[in-house]
Amino acid sequence: MSSHVAIEVRGLNKTFGSRKPVRAVRDLSFSVAPGKVTGFLGPNGSGKTTTLRTVLGLVRPTSGDALIQGQHYSQLAHPQRVVGAALEASGVHPGRTAQAHLQVLCAAGGIPYDRVPAVLEEVGLTEAASRKVGGFSLGMRQRLALAGALLGDPAILVLDEPANGLDPEGIAWLRHTLRNLAAEGKAVLISSHVLSEVQLTVDDVVIISKGALVTQCPLAELSAGPRQVLVRSADDPSLARAINEESGNAASPAPGGGLLVTGADSAAIGRIALTRQIPLIELREHSADLESVFLELTHAEVSA
Amino acid sequence: MNALRSEIRKLTSTKLTWWLALASFAFTALNVVLLVYLVPTNAQIRDNTVLLELPDYVTSIVAACGSASVFILLIGVLGLTGEYRHMTITATFLASPRRWPVLLSKAAVFGVLGALLGIVNFAVSYALARLTLAGKVHAPIDTSLAGKILLGVMLGFAIYAILGMAVGALLRNQIAAVIIALVWVLLVQPLLGVFFSWAPKWLPGGALDSILHQSYQGGRTTADLLPAWGGALVLIGYAVVLGAIAAGTTLRRDVT
Ligand SMILES: Nc1ncnc2c1ncn2[C@@H]1O[C@H](COP(=O)(O)OP(=O)(O)O)[C@@H](O)[C@H]1O
Ligand SMILES: [Mg+2]
Repeated sequence: MSSHVAIEVRGLNKTFGSRKPVRAVRDLSFSVAPGKVTGFLGPNGSGKTTTLRTVLGLVRPTSGDALIQGQHYSQLAHPQRVVGAALEASGVHPGRTAQAHLQVLCAAGGIPYDRVPAVLEEVGLTEAASRKVGGFSLGMRQRLALAGALLGDPAILVLDEPANGLDPEGIAWLRHTLRNLAAEGKAVLISSHVLSEVQLTVDDVVIISKGALVTQCPLAELSAGPRQVLVRSADDPSLARAINEESGNAASPAPGGGLLVTGADSAAIGRIALTRQIPLIELREHSADLESVFLELTHAEVSA
Repeated sequence: MNALRSEIRKLTSTKLTWWLALASFAFTALNVVLLVYLVPTNAQIRDNTVLLELPDYVTSIVAACGSASVFILLIGVLGLTGEYRHMTITATFLASPRRWPVLLSKAAVFGVLGALLGIVNFAVSYALARLTLAGKVHAPIDTSLAGKILLGVMLGFAIYAILGMAVGALLRNQIAAVIIALVWVLLVQPLLGVFFSWAPKWLPGGALDSILHQSYQGGRTTADLLPAWGGALVLIGYAVVLGAIAAGTTLRRDVT
């Protein structure tokens, strides 16, 4: 049943309105694989929710296609058993209890009611089962939304900004839950406008800006900029000259003090310092700050 | 059918509909009491007729259940706009991506609910009419006509609930839809009747009166209205036309 690609978006375009048209999604293509958590990232208003809603058959694309295991969402015989979705602007009637809300969803999908206590347990809402949703915190609503997505035990999960409104503990819980679901072989697609929120959760990233694709790659590739070493010593200017003479690598002053050396490894720099007898204070591999990579990528001008 | 079961669970898990149902029963009771005690007293002073001795007037007391129609309309409006107000429409269409079974199920559930509330409202007005008229001099209650009124109120309220849904589906904004429904029922429709004597029989309110054999609404006589079958056709016509427009829009519209 699990085909190679869980979700495939091909050349998707969506323009809202005709008098003052808004191009929400531009020629977007990407795919989501099973067994992984894919982060769908972009600043606010970059078209994430619109794309997810198109994938789920709620929004009609202007052109292009969004397929789930090769089919349109509306062609799925039992959609909730294939895709579990929790969307940003998806609500719950405040007068309904958590349990009644999930029963409404069960009834619609022909799912037996005994899944309700099971998913409530899975998201840690067992205690709140018979409380009205109107009194829930944002974090509890997020958990309830995830519970709704899990009802049909689907192979694919689509979650729009699931970390929004969660405290650090909640984010850790979400990470753990989503990692487990991916380990079970499910395809998990989560959107976020902050990379750091999901940085520890996702395997792959799909980054969009102004409705268009910036890049799709494994998270590891995103952070793998040119290799850099941070070094601080008793005499940085002399060390910088030494490094340049001995290895030919450039050493430039680092923002927080010390030197950033591009293209050399720390062992080589240690040896150079030893031969020149310059005492070292600090020496470590410098990893690029993911969030700033993300900001740089999404703020780069996207040509229409 | 799953969509149908889901709609029923929605209805049984919230309270607003049931409060409106209770309000409709109370309103019916109030109207019966007014027609039996208050209106005849004033009328006798004015033109010296004993209203309770007129068969048409007694019929209008039994048909007072029809006055609760505005609550049934609101049940339909609120039932549908609630989905947009609380944004549950997303979950609804995620679970049933083919939208027309959802719309049909909603129409069926609200139609049946309207018919059931019609039965209860009829029971209220009929029982209360018997109770309050007992011991007074009055024209006999025509039981065969009462049977027709029961059928009329069932059909009429089923259609009012569906009309409410259609208005709700077209407007989506709950407050706007409620206001427009109320302004129509309380202001526009009566005023149209005042300015154009031919209008009431073609409007939903007049059509409802005709299938309820209701002759004493707003001083109008049955002569201004269509026969019951004509009124039924007009009501069904409104439901079909408004329903089709609402469904066509909802089927195509993006859910964002
Ligand atoms: N129903 C709509 N009508 C008009 N414009 C819309 C609608 N929905 C979204 N948009 C616009 O489309 C763009 C993308 O929005 P959205 O998909 O919500 O972005 P994100 O989820 O990444 O924040 C925004 O400019 C937004 O204003
Ligand atoms: Mg969004």
